[in-house]
Amino acid sequence: MYLLNRQQRHVVNSSWMLFSLLIIGFLPFILFGGLYFKSFLLLKTHTLKDLIFLHSWHPSRGEFGFYPFILGSIWVTLLAILISTPICLLTAINVTQYAKKRFLRVMHPVIDILAGIPSVVYGVWGILVIVPFISRYLGPWFGVQTMGYSILAAALVLSVMIIPFILNIMIEIFRTIPTELKEATLSLGATKWQMVKHVLLRKALPGIIASVGFGLARAFGETMAVLMVVGNVIKVPHSVFDPGYTLPALIANNYGEVLSIPQYDSALMFAALLLLAVSLFFNLLMHFFIARYNKY
Amino acid sequence: MFAFSSCVFVSCNHSDKSHASKDTLKGKLTISGAFALYPLTIRWAEEFRKIHPGVTINISAGGAGKGMADALSKMADLGMYSKEVSPEEMAKGAWTLACAKDAVLPVMNAANPLAKTIQAAGVTKDKFYGIFISGNVRTWGDLIGMKDANTMQVFTRSDACGAADMWAKFMMNKKQEDLQGIGVNGDPGVADAVRKTIYGIGYNNLNFVFDVQSRKPYQGLAIVPIDLNGNGKIDKEEDFYHSMDEVMAAINDGRYPSPPARRLYFVSAGKPVNKLVLAFLNFILSDGQKFVNEAGYVRLKEDVIRSQLNKLQ
Repeated sequence: MYLLNRQQRHVVNSSWMLFSLLIIGFLPFILFGGLYFKSFLLLKTHTLKDLIFLHSWHPSRGEFGFYPFILGSIWVTLLAILISTPICLLTAINVTQYAKKRFLRVMHPVIDILAGIPSVVYGVWGILVIVPFISRYLGPWFGVQTMGYSILAAALVLSVMIIPFILNIMIEIFRTIPTELKEATLSLGATKWQMVKHVLLRKALPGIIASVGFGLARAFGETMAVLMVVGNVIKVPHSVFDPGYTLPALIANNYGEVLSIPQYDSALMFAALLLLAVSLFFNLLMHFFIARYNKY
Repeated sequence: MFAFSSCVFVSCNHSDKSHASKDTLKGKLTISGAFALYPLTIRWAEEFRKIHPGVTINISAGGAGKGMADALSKMADLGMYSKEVSPEEMAKGAWTLACAKDAVLPVMNAANPLAKTIQAAGVTKDKFYGIFISGNVRTWGDLIGMKDANTMQVFTRSDACGAADMWAKFMMNKKQEDLQGIGVNGDPGVADAVRKTIYGIGYNNLNFVFDVQSRKPYQGLAIVPIDLNGNGKIDKEEDFYHSMDEVMAAINDGRYPSPPARRLYFVSAGKPVNKLVLAFLNFILSDGQKFVNEAGYVRLKEDVIRSQLNKLQ
């Protein structure tokens, strides 16, 4: 019936699996190697320190300072995290501890829908709603004249985009906290809020940090939605109402230009390398916290 | 970038029997690139398809940079290109064919309280330099020497494109990377941002300033006339912005400077050998030329067309 006997089939099947595993295992290294190789042309003439800390970006004159892009990315990402973390945390506590079970069942599809919306749609929403809102209401309210295309606009759009990712993990983590622990706390006379504050949050802290790290990595790499509202101005931002430029937007906007200027190609690959390094850093950090969390 | 690339798919629904019998031209053509050439290419594709119903032409706009990149990497059969091809690109095997002319025009919001004054006075090249490059001209008052403290809200293109390149070249031979202002994606993006921002200023390709049907500027958009002789007012020979045809005539006879007026090109990786591509390019330079003016572009001079046709031989 079979061409091979049982033993042989076992070998074939398991070697396929091993092969797939190896591919996935080596992929990050191949990516890293490829990007490093491609950005070597730039690294030959510029020191790493210059590339990261210089402000001037004039590819046609051979000046490649990534500082405005790196700072732009960091501002947008951190601001988005600052906005969405408290919202996610409070929602997750409410859904898992206070609200009825029914509510959680409704929340899950809502989260999935939010997660499934393409980033361009978020970008268009940003241009149509967030940008005018900032230029007409929020900016004047703070006494700033702004066109709305700003770090803040990008952060607001991003914060909504990463909510489903952070929220999902947070809900799962709160659900794994043993009921006994919570009941024991309540039986000692603690109020529900005291239980949440002193037991639930403390126990879940590494998990919460990990979920935020996950959101951070996602936000850092988001391209389209940010590109559409951030303003794409190569300047170090000084306030959240200033326009900025992010690393992914740099790559997406200029990929067509690379052919006309030597080293440009290399510079964009270096930007990609930076992106990869940062998201790897966040990922490792996240895994570190998850590992700690699992020990308890 | 990809998101804004609007796609048009001209396909065959009704087969024309009289043509089907002798027409052997069949296949698919992919064209990508400059927003400037996009409307005209669509028109050409439609007309070409009337003669050769068996041909499918897929056109997407994503900026000149993308056109060149796609053409050289052979992702597209032809790239639409709206600036001069650099020696580096030539070295990578870029082959070009000029097909029409158009121009980049500076635009502002039509509701700007100073719009009438500015249109009577015009703006010199130096002032444009102050707005778009050095940033010296910060308010609308600075621009025309009046007391008006409203900050100019400058828009530029975020994607690598010919319009920005030409506009920067007009101002002391600068590059797109030197342009100040909020970077917005795509020609329609800049037009839209200027229309929505009362103190906004930007630049657009001719076809995104004027409505081809009415031949008037789009609602909410006003052209900032260029004061070419620098005498502080728009003279009779500088006054050609009232309709699309006036501007086109000015581009044609050189009253509108170049840059920002420029030739538009099709590019490919090496001289095309595909019969379909060659047939399409031949059509553009011969029968296709009669749609150029209608679609809102300026025709190339006869001798230029002849030299381009020679390139196809």
